Amino acid sequence: MGDEQKTVPLSVDGRSIEAPPGTLLIEACKSVGIEVPSFCYYPGLSLQAACRMCLVEIEKTPKLQTACTVIVQPGMVVRTSTPQVHAARKAMLEFLLTNHPLDCPVCDKGGECELQDMVFRYGAAESRFAEEKEHQPEQRFSSVVYFDYPRCILCFRCVRVCDEAMDVKALGVGQRGVRSTIIPNRPDGTLECEECGMCIDICPVGALTSHQYRYKTRPWEMKYVGTPCAHCGDGCKTTLNIRNNQILRGNNRDKTGINGEFLCIKGRYGGDFVHHPERLRQPLVRRHGRLEPATWEEGLDLVAHRLKEITVSAGPDRIGFLGSNRTTNEENYLLQRFARTVIGTNNIDHHRTADYAALVAALGGDTTAFAASGDLARTAAILLIGSDPTHNHPLLAYNIRAAGRLHDARLYVINAREIKLRRQADRFVQVPAGQEAAAVEALLGAAPDLPPDARQELDKVRAALEKESDVIVLFGAEMWGRGVKRLVEFGQKLAGKTRYIALGDYANSRGAADMGVLPDLLPGYGPLTDATLRKKWEQLWNSSLPATPGLNARQMFEPGRLRGLYVVGANPVKTFKLAHTRDGLGAPELLVVQELFLTETAQLADVVLPAASAYEKDGTLTNTCGELQRLRRPLEPVGARSDFEILRLLSYALGKPIPWRTPEAAFEEIRQQVPGYQVSLASLLVGEATRTAPGDGRHADKAAETSPGLIFSSDDSLFTSGTLGRFSEMLNSVPERKLPRSQL
Amino acid sequence: MASILREMGETAVTLAKGFSVTLRTLFRPTVTENYPDEPVRFEARYRGIHVLHRDESGLEKCVACFLCAAACPVQCIYIEADENTAERRISASERYAKVYNIDYSRCIFCGYCVEACPTDAITHGHGFELATYNIADMVYRKEQLLAQALKPPRT
Ligand code: SF4
Ligand code: SF4
Ligand code: SF4
Ligand code: SF4
Ligand code: SF4
Ligand code: FES
Repeated sequence: MGDEQKTVPLSVDGRSIEAPPGTLLIEACKSVGIEVPSFCYYPGLSLQAACRMCLVEIEKTPKLQTACTVIVQPGMVVRTSTPQVHAARKAMLEFLLTNHPLDCPVCDKGGECELQDMVFRYGAAESRFAEEKEHQPEQRFSSVVYFDYPRCILCFRCVRVCDEAMDVKALGVGQRGVRSTIIPNRPDGTLECEECGMCIDICPVGALTSHQYRYKTRPWEMKYVGTPCAHCGDGCKTTLNIRNNQILRGNNRDKTGINGEFLCIKGRYGGDFVHHPERLRQPLVRRHGRLEPATWEEGLDLVAHRLKEITVSAGPDRIGFLGSNRTTNEENYLLQRFARTVIGTNNIDHHRTADYAALVAALGGDTTAFAASGDLARTAAILLIGSDPTHNHPLLAYNIRAAGRLHDARLYVINAREIKLRRQADRFVQVPAGQEAAAVEALLGAAPDLPPDARQELDKVRAALEKESDVIVLFGAEMWGRGVKRLVEFGQKLAGKTRYIALGDYANSRGAADMGVLPDLLPGYGPLTDATLRKKWEQLWNSSLPATPGLNARQMFEPGRLRGLYVVGANPVKTFKLAHTRDGLGAPELLVVQELFLTETAQLADVVLPAASAYEKDGTLTNTCGELQRLRRPLEPVGARSDFEILRLLSYALGKPIPWRTPEAAFEEIRQQVPGYQVSLASLLVGEATRTAPGDGRHADKAAETSPGLIFSSDDSLFTSGTLGRFSEMLNSVPERKLPRSQL
Repeated sequence: MASILREMGETAVTLAKGFSVTLRTLFRPTVTENYPDEPVRFEARYRGIHVLHRDESGLEKCVACFLCAAACPVQCIYIEADENTAERRISASERYAKVYNIDYSRCIFCGYCVEACPTDAITHGHGFELATYNIADMVYRKEQLLAQALKPPRT
């Protein structure tokens, strides 16, 4: 590219404007604030030129032209507001309304309908058509998507978004002429798809509507709060539409946030777990073998009393803490401080779904090597090892598809399963399950015993990657410990810049690791064994820290290791596949669980403390790429308290108060003390995703080797989301949940 | 002395003027209503407590479009919408008002809601006896506002 990109000069409505070559006229007009109305044109999707709303006058062209398909030319003279253009718009709208029912009072789109707005702005109030309207009853495409044929204006946005952006291709056009209609992909007239709701969101009219929002309220009656999604590790911003402290749907029409307008079914409709009737609303205490309701005072006092008892009689190292993948950074930070200073043990861990620690160590302090989700669009090539992003990381999968579709990025996939993204891959290498690390060895030129055809393919992948100027490597839980180290070694050998994304499962998997919810690492991945580092934290917290690394998650469940187990927002019985008895958890005499629901683990507990969800509290989350976002507390918790509040109260009850009154106070310390979290408060407060880059590189050599069996993914599908997903009616209602994955 | 006489004369004239009005009115027909002993007479367009109407088959006319609530300058209309089912049909269209409240402690009887309604479901009735000792009683629910069915709703 030259120093300065040449621009094309043209004139629109008498104004001289300039646009980069290749720009569509409609975009050039928009860039200077001249609106050309459109229905079928949609940025990022292929051109359709179906609606003719965008007609404009171009000098020396006899007929009106569609601004959505014309590319700017030097010296072009365009008029967007002549009587002829107005007449054309009016006629197009009249035509669209010939068969339109105009049942706005009933229609769910009323109040946010592009057709309503257009007719109001440009349209004719009366129709000259007296013909009978074509009517068909509304169709229920699926438990999520409803279709109302008469309202459809045939802009084909839905068809294109499902085909191009989602790569699901579940919608098509049936019939011809006036009878043209949108048809779903199953012969019985129902949908079998990802149920992402993108088609509903993109439909300019009320032809596609969602089950969750149907006939509930009106757009102007709701409160809109944009907050990070509570489900997977990608951290989409979902704007929750709320009325009466109830989430009615999520969307992101303003396209702010790292996800633009993308949301999967979990972010769009999966917020309903918050309102599930089985939500815990008051503490439960075990009396005579049964869990019975109790007051907060009773619950907290009992926990404090028993914890103190065990600490005194058996020592703090007989107590263990299991943290969460979905509590906030502040809560994780508080939890590890609580364990290390209030109790005095390093027995703290969580279900690790990606080996962030190994990545940070392997990078040796290179904080520029973390890729953000948006970087996928601006890279030359992507290497994906393990995981199934279509299911585990819907946003990243969407970005990976967009990278290839809109920016010509190459995709190389190494996986044990025939994951769906292989359809976009330039090379897909299938390796035997568990051999992903061996595949990396093969990339490095070693000769592990992989099937010969896989080896050949890997050679080709290596050759191709060596030619790339810029590669982003994504890897799942299949790569851990030494595997990650070797992968980074390979990445560093490549000619271009290599950046990495470790793919962890849940909303704050990354944050749990970054905040030091680990038995051997302090916040920011500093090893506990480093005396100077320990000293820094000891001074900060005004308390001594135990020097030996604690038990990891697996060791904590070994029989007889612990006398007290404290679980925050986790369900180890299910995730670690333990026996559903207290013995399965290592037979601790005290089991405390902070949870939203009575999970398998909570059922075994002595005390269950009801926790607030991510939609009911303040704090920050770090997505799997390390982007930090602030929760906006869209709802108020009913009966429950945030994990932050619970732990804080408990520290007071134990006589060693941790003085942060609010998560903000804890965040201020995180921002000052945790390496990589020195972010700008301003951008965080306005709701931007801010990059973090942990690891100061001093401890690369000392970074702990990960023990086997600690890094594993729950491998959630598009329709499951750990504990939360089990309590979402919407997620449970889709039949695709039961399908084998390859079918979607 | 003279001034006293003049004052008395003026007073007499003023009194006579005043009582002449009283006298004249005494023989005119009365306009005062004998409420509550006799029924109250309304002008046809009197704006009283609202009525939610039913159609000829007894179904509710309101489709919960929220336009009345949007038009209301004091935001005293509260609606919750829901979907009709084949088994339980409330309104003729797909949606109906599950909850429809008007808070008469705030309503200013402006009639905007009536004007906004696309299905003529809401009009002003002639009810006016809203006084109560409990302000919560001033929130009228749909059941209180709904017109009596002429015949039982079609099921
Ligand atoms: S799609 Fe728009 S114009 Fe058509 S009935 Fe619905 S709100 Fe009215
Ligand atoms: S919900 Fe998503 S996957 Fe399903 S048809 Fe619509 S766009 Fe396609
Ligand atoms: S259903 Fe909506 S998005 Fe799809 S073609 Fe019809 S109007 Fe366009
Ligand atoms: S991709 Fe992940 S973060 Fe985004 S909406 Fe779906 S579950 Fe939420
Ligand atoms: S009469 Fe006026 S104030 Fe009363 S409910 Fe209707 S719109 Fe609101
Ligand atoms: S927007 Fe140009 S034809 Fe539809």
